[in-house]
Amino acid sequence: MASIAVKELRKTYKGAAEATLKGLTFAFPEGKIGGLLGPNGAGKTTTISILCGLVQADGGDVMIHSLPQNAAHREQIKKIIGIVPQQIALYPQLSAVENLTYFGNLYGLKGKALYEKIMHYLEVFGLEKSAHKEIHKYSGGMKRRANIIAAILHEPDLLILDEPTAGVDVQSRSMILQFLRSYNEQGASILYTSHLLEEAQSLCDEVAIMDEGRMILQGQPESLIDELPECRNLEDVFLHYTGHALRD
Amino acid sequence: MLRLLATIRKEWQLLVRDKMGLTLLFVMPVVLITVMALIQDAPFKDYQDVKFDILTVDNDHGRLGKYIREGLASGGQFNIIDTLDGHPVTEQQARELVNNGHYKISIIVPAGSTAAIVSNANRIVNDITQRMGMSVSLPVKKGADSLNVVIYFDPAAKKAFKGAIHQALDNFLTQVETDMLLGRIQQQLRRKDTTATPNDTLPIRLQAVGLKEHATGTSKQLDVVSNSVQHNVPAWSIFAMFFIVIPIAGNMIREREDGSLLRMKLIPGSYLLILAGKMLFFVGICLLQFYLMMLVGIYAMPLLDLPKLVMGHDQGATLLVAGAIGLAATAYGILIGTLFKTPNQALNFGAISIVILSAIGGIWIPLEVMPANMQVIGHLSPLSWGLDAINDIYLRNGDIGYVWKNVLRLVLTGGVMLAVAGFVEKRRMN
Repeated sequence: MASIAVKELRKTYKGAAEATLKGLTFAFPEGKIGGLLGPNGAGKTTTISILCGLVQADGGDVMIHSLPQNAAHREQIKKIIGIVPQQIALYPQLSAVENLTYFGNLYGLKGKALYEKIMHYLEVFGLEKSAHKEIHKYSGGMKRRANIIAAILHEPDLLILDEPTAGVDVQSRSMILQFLRSYNEQGASILYTSHLLEEAQSLCDEVAIMDEGRMILQGQPESLIDELPECRNLEDVFLHYTGHALRD
Repeated sequence: MLRLLATIRKEWQLLVRDKMGLTLLFVMPVVLITVMALIQDAPFKDYQDVKFDILTVDNDHGRLGKYIREGLASGGQFNIIDTLDGHPVTEQQARELVNNGHYKISIIVPAGSTAAIVSNANRIVNDITQRMGMSVSLPVKKGADSLNVVIYFDPAAKKAFKGAIHQALDNFLTQVETDMLLGRIQQQLRRKDTTATPNDTLPIRLQAVGLKEHATGTSKQLDVVSNSVQHNVPAWSIFAMFFIVIPIAGNMIREREDGSLLRMKLIPGSYLLILAGKMLFFVGICLLQFYLMMLVGIYAMPLLDLPKLVMGHDQGATLLVAGAIGLAATAYGILIGTLFKTPNQALNFGAISIVILSAIGGIWIPLEVMPANMQVIGHLSPLSWGLDAINDIYLRNGDIGYVWKNVLRLVLTGGVMLAVAGFVEKRRMN
């Protein structure tokens, strides 16, 4: 069964000269780590927004854990997914505990059970000593880790991460990737986007490379590399299909 | 319910850590209302409590001069000054002192003015008695010149002030002339009535119909006049409440920029409950601001030698109006936070728009003194609806029956602003 199945997805924003998504199709199996890769402007953010139900597609189908992403199932799907946006979606003036308590409350979690869960994850991510420190006093890596905790408090079956390791140090990145593997081993599906292709190659079970609103290819990283003798890694594959032209 | 309460608690935590925001919401308004009440105290007192010095030059030394001096002094609004450094004020002195602004007004009673009035009264009595077949001839000055009581005003004196003084003096002149005429008539009648004793007075009443001022309140009487505190405390409190758009708009833009808005929208359950929590919190802050300002008006203003604020009798209506103002202000903040992309844009537009709305809405100066076309425009400002409603309660002793229309206007405007914000946000996502 697929955790995410997208078929012929189309989207053109109002006033835009060109379509952002032009019949995008891909699927990732349940319980796996899938990587959605593409250069700037490929349509990754729009795809994620449609997957989450924030943006309406003009056409095509989206299934999340076998549920169609539509108004009737939107609330159910929200319970299944957790999203880690690229920005640090936390209140800088509040401490980690205050931030996480607020988002936990919004998920309906409360009291001692919530507090214990927060403290557990803070410990997992090495933030227990800074639990009551305001977020704006955190380093970049600490903020990224706290940002992930806010998305997993309700223990989602599908975790969507948009550039979760952007701008963090090696230690933080290692801890984040280690956590994602362990969260995946517990049965959760993960959709991950990144520009760090070496990281994607080592983390993802499958990757889908998209460009200009269309899917270019999908498969296991090692298979994709093997298919092209001149390519030594995923970055070579990516450049082979998307070219060297700048995407500003 | 949990998400509503959690949002209120989160907004509170954010506010208490925002020292600048707290200053903007609570300290600045207190300073503002105090400064404005102090500055505008004198202009408001112009025609109420302030005592003016009036230089009087009495060249007549007769009844008219005495009448004018006593009449002006009896009102309690004027200090009559007829000597300077122990010497009687001269006409030349009076003119110079008024012209250079040391005094606002000077009155010169010309020599012979009482004699002229007496002569005129005698002429009338002679004429009446002659027509009645009585042979009375009181002395009349032949070829009497027309005399004028001369008034000098400070060139900066307001037109209304001049009019009031003119009218008061005109009344005194009429009164003196009437008194003298009636005195002469009484004298002649007594002479004709041989049975009357010298102490008998004829029952001549000059005023059959008098004037009496009543308060317009429907129930309990209020003895409140519009003074600097009564205008400035509610007016600038409403202004300060509307300034809540700045923290709200900034807060919303930051939530959109840092992705927490996105996160909130991805959490199961209605985002409207989160928005309702945010609104409830900020409406609560507006109410807190409003009542803090009222407390300043009641307890702090008298310490500064200013009048004490009087809040009317219907506290329920006051709470309703303050809540409606808070709702409209909060909705305006949410609209601005939705329309603009950066905190700087929102800050500039929000602040300038509130200043404009307050200026045309009668916050700075009452709408009544504005030109007619500006009054029409001013009545479109939500700030004027709020101020009108507060004045209805505070000055007109009104209740909910007086203010419901303005409350409805504020609530509906808030509703429309929220609907527009919702529409824009939805459109932006697609």
